[in-house]
Amino acid sequence: MSTIQILFFFLTALALFSAIMVLVSKNPVHSVLWLIVVFFAISGHYVLLNAQFLAIVNLIVYAGAIMVLFLFVIMLMNLNSEAEPRKHIWMKMAGVISGGCFLMVLVSLVRQATDMQQRTALMGSGNVGLIKNLGKALFSDYVVPFEISSVLFLSAMVGAIVIGKK
Amino acid sequence: MNAIIFSALAGVVMMYSGIITSKKTVIKYIAAIALVVLIAANLLQVYGIWQISVDTRDMLSFEKFGLVFNTLAFTATLIYVLLSGKEIENAGVNVAEYFALIFFVLCGVSILSSFNGLLMMFLGIEILTIPLYILTASDKRNLRSNEASLKYFLMGSFSTGIMLMGIALVYGATGSFALHTNAPVALSATGGIKASFLEVAGMILMFVSMAFKVSAAPFHFWTPDVYDGAPGVFTSFMATVVKAAGFIAFIRLFEGHTAILGPTWKILLAFVIVATLLIGNVTAVFQQSVKRMLSYSSIAQAGFMLFALYSSNDMAKEGLLLYSVAYSLATIGIFAVLIKLKDYAFDDFNGLGKTHPALAFATTVCLLSLAGIPLTGGFFAKYYMLASMVKEGGPLWLLIVAVLFAAVSVYYYFRVIQAMYFKEGTPSVQTEITSGFKAGMVLLAILIILLGIAPSLVLNLFYF
Repeated sequence: MSTIQILFFFLTALALFSAIMVLVSKNPVHSVLWLIVVFFAISGHYVLLNAQFLAIVNLIVYAGAIMVLFLFVIMLMNLNSEAEPRKHIWMKMAGVISGGCFLMVLVSLVRQATDMQQRTALMGSGNVGLIKNLGKALFSDYVVPFEISSVLFLSAMVGAIVIGKK
Repeated sequence: MNAIIFSALAGVVMMYSGIITSKKTVIKYIAAIALVVLIAANLLQVYGIWQISVDTRDMLSFEKFGLVFNTLAFTATLIYVLLSGKEIENAGVNVAEYFALIFFVLCGVSILSSFNGLLMMFLGIEILTIPLYILTASDKRNLRSNEASLKYFLMGSFSTGIMLMGIALVYGATGSFALHTNAPVALSATGGIKASFLEVAGMILMFVSMAFKVSAAPFHFWTPDVYDGAPGVFTSFMATVVKAAGFIAFIRLFEGHTAILGPTWKILLAFVIVATLLIGNVTAVFQQSVKRMLSYSSIAQAGFMLFALYSSNDMAKEGLLLYSVAYSLATIGIFAVLIKLKDYAFDDFNGLGKTHPALAFATTVCLLSLAGIPLTGGFFAKYYMLASMVKEGGPLWLLIVAVLFAAVSVYYYFRVIQAMYFKEGTPSVQTEITSGFKAGMVLLAILIILLGIAPSLVLNLFYF
């Protein structure tokens, strides 16, 4: 087992474990902290795929900005376990059954997708994820969606002002 | 490209118009003029006279179908602004911003009518929905409006997440965002279709998300609450232009993929259609508020529009254009009258036939069109939907179910007509009704009847 493989399995286990902890934690603050661990593990995966820019952006935007905002909101709302609305047992059962069905479909997909099995991800090589190539793709092949997304951000900004203004 | 660029520009112009003038009526007329310019720019592209050409690397493809839909959607918006402009002015303080957001929605509509790749589809859907979350919350003092907006935002983001998961799976299977509409389908030795399982799963996830966006059962739960909580004038826009655009995106996304999904796809779709018709129509019968009844009826109408997806042939596309026009015009008309009333209950319509005969006549025509009575636009819309399904060899029972539910829908639409003509009382008209509004409503009614006599008025746009 090479170093990259060991790292891969370690990061995967870490991501899965902390993602489950996000769901099981009773305290919302703990959930958020576990979510930050998930983001770090996923950023580790990006580094393994030689996509350093994506890894850093993931950390700065998600683990940095958004999670801090999340923590603030949760602390301001002062959530505790008593305030949590009680779910009916049937609702829980329905959730478990439909979620389980979806999991089964996805697992069977991965097992049956024979055309996927010969392909492997490029680990530690390839230069698609480097900032130079990313910028080139963004301003040549994907320039139309890049420019059109400005409309999206503009409308989001207008919305923030409309809702925020008295 | 004209429609996308001009609608985005018009949005920016509207934002600045709020700085220049504080007169709300002036802002409304600027919006109406911008809409006329937008329609003209789009028509120039439809007839190939002038267009801004951009190398989109095959991510957008401007076909006649999408461009004609743009024209119809913009025209419906113009009628909406002219009829309900007064209520947009009174919906809140930031009138210029509301119009700007409406133009951004139209930008999303024109992307959705011409996308040729999943990336553009995602952007289009987001540009379409994000302004709607804000318009839903525009009545800031009203708790229900806030609740509706938050509910819409949370559910909408969740369904967008499902869509992204689907796009990721399809990208993983095919390695590109392209739609592959013309890709030949390879048959494996056993006769089954050789498609990557990841692609099928991705398409199913996208189906779930799109069904949510057009409020097809069983993904319709957000619709009544959001449509009911939002200010009536914006519900009118959400239930018409936006919903029709969702269907255009739906049919564009799936028309090339039915072969990949195999025969199970038709069974799945038939189940969704029947569930949508059942839930929409049966629940609408029991509503006490006209606004809530109309939101359930919009679910029921979505069930009919899903037939276009079921057959997805040329006739279905024609029918979908006709359906979006007939449904949008009728719903815009009813909402325009409804938001003039104090409350949204059936009793508010009592005696409208005596005090405002012109309005009552126009509302009656709109309701008849929604119910699909012959000589109104709605009849041919429903006819085209069902005929395209029969042409494609759809099962007979599905046809019978659809006709039965259309008959059920007559009941709850006629309750409003009954209240207007056969019940005593004074209608609680809140705002003053101008003669211009009356004339507009009667013209709208005439337009709907004209569509019912000569549906080729719309269909010819497709060919000439």
